Amino acid sequence: MDQFIQLTVDGLTLGSVYALIALGYTLVYGVLKLLNFAHGDVFMVGTFVGYGVLQELGGPMNPKVPIWLLITLVTVAAMAVTAGLGVAIERFAYRPLRDAPRIAPLISALGVSFFLSNSMQLLFGATPRNYDLFEYNAGSLYLRGIHIGGVTIPLLRITTIVAAFVLMVILWFLVNKTRTGKAMRATSYDREAAAMMGIDIDRVIVFTFVLGSALAGAAGVMFALRVPTNVSIGFIAGLKGFIAAVIGGIGSIPGAMIGGLLLGFAESYIQGYVSTQWSDLYVFTILVLFMLFRHQGLLGRPDIRKV
Amino acid sequence: MSLLELQKVSLSFGGLKVVDRLDIHVDEGEIVSVIGPNGAGKTTLFNLITGIYKPDGGDIVFDGTSIVGLEPHKISQRGISRTFQTLRLFLNMSVKENVMAACYGHTKAGIFRSMVRTPGMRREEREIEELARTRLAFFGQRLMGYRWDQPAYSLSYANRRRLEIARATASNPRLLLLDEPAAGMNPTETHEITELIAQLRDEGGYTILVIEHDMHVVEGISDRVVALDHGVKIAEGSFETVATDEKVVEAYLGLQTMSSK
Amino acid sequence: MTDSTPHGFHSTGAEGPAVGKDEWVARHAERRFMRGGPLGTVEDRLRAVPWWAWLILFVAAFSLFPLVETSGYVRQVAFTTVLYMLLALGLNVVVGWGGLLDLGYVAFYGIGAYAYALIDSPHYHHHFPTFIAVPIVVVVGALAGFLLGLPSRRLTGDYLAIVTLFFLQLFQTVTTNWQHVTGGPFGILNVDPFGLDHKHELATEHGGVFAVSYLYVALGMFVVVFVALRMINNSRTGRAWRSLREDPLAAEAMGMPVNWLKLMSFASGAAVAALTGSLYAALFGNVFPLTFYFVTLITIYTMVILGGSGNQAGVVLGALIVSPLLEMLRDPGKSRAAFFVALVGGLVVFSRRSPRMAAVALSTLVFGFVVHIVCSSIHGSWVAGEHHGGFAGLVDHWVVAPESMARWIAPASYVGVIGAALAVVVLSGWKRLAALVPTLYLAAFVWENVMLSKPEPARYIVLGLILIVLMILRPNGLLGERRVEIV
Repeated sequence: MDQFIQLTVDGLTLGSVYALIALGYTLVYGVLKLLNFAHGDVFMVGTFVGYGVLQELGGPMNPKVPIWLLITLVTVAAMAVTAGLGVAIERFAYRPLRDAPRIAPLISALGVSFFLSNSMQLLFGATPRNYDLFEYNAGSLYLRGIHIGGVTIPLLRITTIVAAFVLMVILWFLVNKTRTGKAMRATSYDREAAAMMGIDIDRVIVFTFVLGSALAGAAGVMFALRVPTNVSIGFIAGLKGFIAAVIGGIGSIPGAMIGGLLLGFAESYIQGYVSTQWSDLYVFTILVLFMLFRHQGLLGRPDIRKV
Repeated sequence: MSLLELQKVSLSFGGLKVVDRLDIHVDEGEIVSVIGPNGAGKTTLFNLITGIYKPDGGDIVFDGTSIVGLEPHKISQRGISRTFQTLRLFLNMSVKENVMAACYGHTKAGIFRSMVRTPGMRREEREIEELARTRLAFFGQRLMGYRWDQPAYSLSYANRRRLEIARATASNPRLLLLDEPAAGMNPTETHEITELIAQLRDEGGYTILVIEHDMHVVEGISDRVVALDHGVKIAEGSFETVATDEKVVEAYLGLQTMSSK
Repeated sequence: MTDSTPHGFHSTGAEGPAVGKDEWVARHAERRFMRGGPLGTVEDRLRAVPWWAWLILFVAAFSLFPLVETSGYVRQVAFTTVLYMLLALGLNVVVGWGGLLDLGYVAFYGIGAYAYALIDSPHYHHHFPTFIAVPIVVVVGALAGFLLGLPSRRLTGDYLAIVTLFFLQLFQTVTTNWQHVTGGPFGILNVDPFGLDHKHELATEHGGVFAVSYLYVALGMFVVVFVALRMINNSRTGRAWRSLREDPLAAEAMGMPVNWLKLMSFASGAAVAALTGSLYAALFGNVFPLTFYFVTLITIYTMVILGGSGNQAGVVLGALIVSPLLEMLRDPGKSRAAFFVALVGGLVVFSRRSPRMAAVALSTLVFGFVVHIVCSSIHGSWVAGEHHGGFAGLVDHWVVAPESMARWIAPASYVGVIGAALAVVVLSGWKRLAALVPTLYLAAFVWENVMLSKPEPARYIVLGLILIVLMILRPNGLLGERRVEIV
């Protein structure tokens, strides 16, 4: 039972990180019909920005600001930088290709992904970076928390999960309740028609990239709070986020959240009960099953073939 | 016996009924025109026949057997071929290759035989090249000569329409579905296409089902006309009967008379 | 978009074409290929040479290469280049002809290498003769491609990319974790070279130097694969593949079994990759999981895209350029030379086109010397950095290389040069030209001080850049035909 609770909490944390990454994929896919392969690397840059800011502010050993402010600043900085990065990528690598054959922006995205991860390696090397928040105040962030049965759910975990959900609620609000959000949904439904209705498509797309990339930045910090990061983390993280988006139904925002959580739980339970080494294999099986029997994902619309 | 018979075919997208219990039959050697206002379900009808959409109900019988549920390429191999309203040529392939590609269904050479160029494979290649030549020669010199090896994207609009017809006939079909063959053509070309469709039937021996908006073309070619509106057949018969049918006039003009008041 | 409807430009008779829009379009296409003057004549003559003559010429030149070049290292680079040529040919089947974005391609390369290693090494004590082992490997590769294609066959571009990319990841997981079969991260060692049996083996080296015979084996395989694929492309299967790439729905309506064709395309590409894998394993004698990962994938993609996806000669050319380039970038001296040759070459080419670019080139030159003089007068150590060979003399007095740099300079200048390059893209007119001068100089500075010392990421950054810039400026690559797509 204790193990189950532990795994559930792990799954929830991992799942919310996946969900945040998946949201980035899904938002961009919804508007541009483009799989943004570089998204995972934007996430990776987020983890590094967070690390840099953390070090500048004195590190976890003797922070110059209160711990809650420290973590907030780290997250906000990561989100700001990744948002800018996302906008730059869109402007220079995708926008010129908007009317090109569909395979062109995909390949450009591969190039961006490769460029980002290697640039980071060039500048910061391949050594893993650890946020080391355990060092803060003799591990109080980890040791204090809610006790359920024999399991302690650390404060940091709870904060992460809550923060992820707050971000998702904000996103939901932005997309559903604001003018720009409405324009976004219109664009994802039919870009040309939206343009003719006077919607500034470029602005909508930039906004989408800001949202998606900022979420990736936040996810990066949440991820790096748990485990050390390195420059090649983007590939795997991106791939998982991707799969979460597909399982949930790419293009669907609640789908990405559900897909991310499902994937998080699945991985956590598989690693806990079945096998650590082979969890990728099981995830792949799930993906293939989805592809075969419900390739539009859980909440995606089945596409009608236009002739 | 009819070559093609649709029996109470229905299809809806979401809640919208696009085709509703439609009965249509096409006899061997006939030219049947389908008319109707935009959104009447004409192109959907073609997509149903060629297997791109699966009907929710009813049956589609071709040459005595049901073709419902067959994949599009199987249906094509049974002898139904089509053109597209929006033109879907293989643009970066040459004119010749566009036609030869459509011979896939009635050729056999596999990968290994192609690799080593067996005599049988080479004979087959010569045959379909000859076939492509005859199909293209159907349009006079328009698609022959230097155009033979040019990419399809270099063709004019009218020639693209012609090439689509040539490609559709390359699979040796018995039934030819033409989706607005005269769309976007000038009067001379339209006149030419009208004669051509009759020629396709008389010389090529194809049975033809055609969607057309240009009433001159419809009048010129049709043995029989079927009028659709909102996925329902509202009239059927000779051009004169259908053109004067009250419901048809209403379907085409109804909204206009309403709004002009 | 399609052409607009022609209005009255057409002759009425069906007897033959007269002047009209149709003709104009057609002649326009002709004009594109025609060039006047002696250059045009040469080009026409070259076009008239049949493909097999080019192939013979190319292979002959390549075969004579070891006679001129005796260095074992260079010969081995040539061998690796042939491997890449084979891989590019295989990927071209899937991406260039089938139009399928297969991101799991290198997994089949790996499967080929591992399959060969398993049946031809002390690992399981199997030592199959090559003429049995290689066909087995090819069949295994094709089967693997077929199996991956099965769940993917209903999928369009995007979904296919995900499934295949994950398959690549899975290949890593399996080879790394299934230790008793694949040897885990330590791989399989002492793989047999090609040969009839244990006594008649084709040695991979003579006295520690790369045995040139493998270059010939690889070239032989290259010719076979090139011709075989060309034959397929020119058959009903090849035409159907390209139809599938152009318009899957129309292809299906014209009687082509789209799913089956996708599987065939996957399997053919995979078979070529697996064949190359066996060659790799036989020569290098060991296989490790990480050889067959994202880096190799991007490398092959860059080759195919650079050369011109869909064009066999093009993708071979792509491999011929990228593989030696990557090799050069390993070595700081050559890497430096490569950079300055590219910089000067680029400036010269553009200067010939417009006098304004000549002004930019000249300004850049002057700018560099001025900066160098200013820096050296501020402090000697600012220009006392170690230069990495290649064009010593002149360049050393042009680009600034500090003896030691503060930690922030590298990231700042690197991000700076990216920002500057992006600004050049955004600006127009004289502002663009003005911004180009410091950008070029900054690029030289970064190359000299930041990238030369770290060849591993630097060369892959170059690859990534090639991919992005190519997709934007010339998506059809060097030899690819212009593509038209109407949605």
